[in-house]
Amino acid sequence: MPVHIVETRQLRYRYAKTQAGWILDGLNVYVQPGETVLLCGASGSGKSTLLRTFNGLIPHFYGGRLEGTVRVAGCLTASRSVPQLFDKVAMVFQNPDSQLFNATVEHEIAFGLESLGLPRNEIRRRIRQTCQTVKIAHLLGQSPQQLSGGEKQLVAIAAVLALKPRLIVLDEPYANLDPAGVRRIRRTLAAVHRQSISVLISEHRLACSVPDAARMLVLHAGRVVLEGSPQQVLTRHLEAFGLESPPAVKFSRRLGIRPPALDIAALAEAAGAGLHRLAPALPAGVPAAAIGKPLLSAAGLCFEYQRRPAVKHVSFVLNRGECLAVVGANGAGKTTLLKLLNGLLAPSRGRIRFQGQDLGRMKASQRARHIGTAFQNPDSQFFKSTVREEIEVAPRVLGCYDPTWLQHLVDRFQLEAFVDHPPYRLSGGEKKRVAFAAALAARPEILLVDEPTAGQDARFRRALGKMLGELCATGRAIIMVTHDLSFAEQYAHRWLVMARGEAIAAGPAHRVMENAEVMARAGLEATDVFQLRRLVQEHAGA
Amino acid sequence: MLDPRTHLVLAIVAGIFTAVVPRITATAAIWLLLLVGVAACGRIRAYLRWLRLAGSMALFFGAVTWWAADFGAAALAAVKLATLATVFFLFFAVTAPEDLANALVKSGLPYSAAFVFRTALQFVPILARKAGDVLDAQRARGLPMEPGWSALRHYPAFFLPLLVQMFQLAEELAEAMEARGFGRPGRTFLKNYRLTWRDWLAIGIGLLALILWIGITVNNRRLPGL
Repeated sequence: MPVHIVETRQLRYRYAKTQAGWILDGLNVYVQPGETVLLCGASGSGKSTLLRTFNGLIPHFYGGRLEGTVRVAGCLTASRSVPQLFDKVAMVFQNPDSQLFNATVEHEIAFGLESLGLPRNEIRRRIRQTCQTVKIAHLLGQSPQQLSGGEKQLVAIAAVLALKPRLIVLDEPYANLDPAGVRRIRRTLAAVHRQSISVLISEHRLACSVPDAARMLVLHAGRVVLEGSPQQVLTRHLEAFGLESPPAVKFSRRLGIRPPALDIAALAEAAGAGLHRLAPALPAGVPAAAIGKPLLSAAGLCFEYQRRPAVKHVSFVLNRGECLAVVGANGAGKTTLLKLLNGLLAPSRGRIRFQGQDLGRMKASQRARHIGTAFQNPDSQFFKSTVREEIEVAPRVLGCYDPTWLQHLVDRFQLEAFVDHPPYRLSGGEKKRVAFAAALAARPEILLVDEPTAGQDARFRRALGKMLGELCATGRAIIMVTHDLSFAEQYAHRWLVMARGEAIAAGPAHRVMENAEVMARAGLEATDVFQLRRLVQEHAGA
Repeated sequence: MLDPRTHLVLAIVAGIFTAVVPRITATAAIWLLLLVGVAACGRIRAYLRWLRLAGSMALFFGAVTWWAADFGAAALAAVKLATLATVFFLFFAVTAPEDLANALVKSGLPYSAAFVFRTALQFVPILARKAGDVLDAQRARGLPMEPGWSALRHYPAFFLPLLVQMFQLAEELAEAMEARGFGRPGRTFLKNYRLTWRDWLAIGIGLLALILWIGITVNNRRLPGL
């Protein structure tokens, strides 16, 4: 019987000073040498907590009450400190900003090696070796904080890979990455796997993590509810546990293919001539029936950051009742465009008109009456002691307080259960809901949302999609900046594709994805559903 | 290249000179000398950006001095402040905080103290970005946080989210450091920090110049009284 790198027995854990019960409730989990394990589960299922028991952060750093045992390479973590375990189980955290704390990438990789007390020559050798594996030698002299999201993740992986650990644990490594970033991380993890290092990934985005996993664990309310190879686990209905099966798996199920295919190519191969039977089941896109007159127009918008163009001659029209998705790779200028629209930045050239009125001189705080914004990180805005007060901020300042509307928002976003709680204490999804309600509290005609699905589970995505549809039905217009193309395909009427600051295409999702050149220029990949639809059409044509 | 500790000693010497020289011409000469250093490092553009902030502070300080004293004192105060800001800029342009911290550890400073120093410096840009995000989030929902008196009325909307995020960041940082072996005994360093003859020469020249100048000044002041 092989020695497990990590093994938990009847593991139970609850955080200190909280009323909540057991976050982990009787877990028996193991990781074998050289295997890649995918850990999934809805928000609050206990994934991040479990990861922190592997390297001893729980209980040594967090305190709380731990029952049962966690063994790393045969040693009990309860009797070892975190610095005694960190070279065996290395962890890549979700937030790159706080885990990269050195002035250069070289020092970042060296930090753990210095902690191990290695001689200088060995440190240099390992840095060289790691840079070859992760392919970041060109970044060595740069400050980690200046890098893109994908590059930061690579540096974080390099910093732990250099330690030559037995297991690398990654907490939602793909949460904030565009398709190119995800591809780079997946390639790097494949290289790590070739070095016989075990990898455990906790991730919501199943479509990009399932194909690399040898084994899957599904957590629900602190317990393992499903375990096995992806093919075994994905035959079950994950929706009951707040997850969403990848499209290839869903359609495999529909065609009765067992075990299910994990990606579209495998599905096409397994389905063979029967692929055309999927045609009626494929989603048809978002109907444009409710779209009304133009509400907002942008003409020739330009903006430069430190003399470098960030947005170049962007023009578009947003209609009443429409949801427009602004898509593109990280750094394409999407968020800058959002800030130009809500007045946080002033365009160097170009005009923005709202219902025919030029918004040129209107301050951001005045535009909030017409254009509400929900940013990616809701923590940047909370300062009141209850959710109710937080939602009331904008209408009170802007002089449009309407208790009936506010109660309507509380009901629509299902905030009633925690409306008197402090907003900081809520979960990530609950905070997002409060931020959406706050952005709509002054009854703006337009809602801007920045990366609304980043780091959120399937349950939240479904609820958000429904809510966006309802808002459009009331005649409001939505601009959604996102790198989540499958969400944008499901819920946006139109896409505006940005690449290097330019709007290079606009139109319904399927029209945009049909243009391979545009997708390549924007660094995007067609969604699984689109690829499948195309294959089905090809089969039908043949 | 000189050791980071040598940079520190020279920066302190330049700072003392700037603070104690009584004439504006002498202060301007020090400033000019420092500017040559900035140009030699190829950091003129970054310096000009820095000067926009430091210069406006110097002008404000000068204006207050003018109001309290006279124009001569105000000009001297403004030039001194701008020169001190240049010393500060040049020091950090040529010294990475972690190199300085590691070198000081080699000289006996406790590692945890050095780490606090270097991390505080490194996280300034992150906190500045977070402060910008908070301002953006509040303005975007109607709070008049544009510079001016009205923004002062809404200061909790700026400080509270920033404070909470600072605590979150500190906690996440502590966790990430712990997970990379912070505090494990027997730490080594990637770089070798050693004071060479060049360092001793530079430190010697700097300290000698300072001692000579102090000696001459004290002597000149004594003479009339003799």
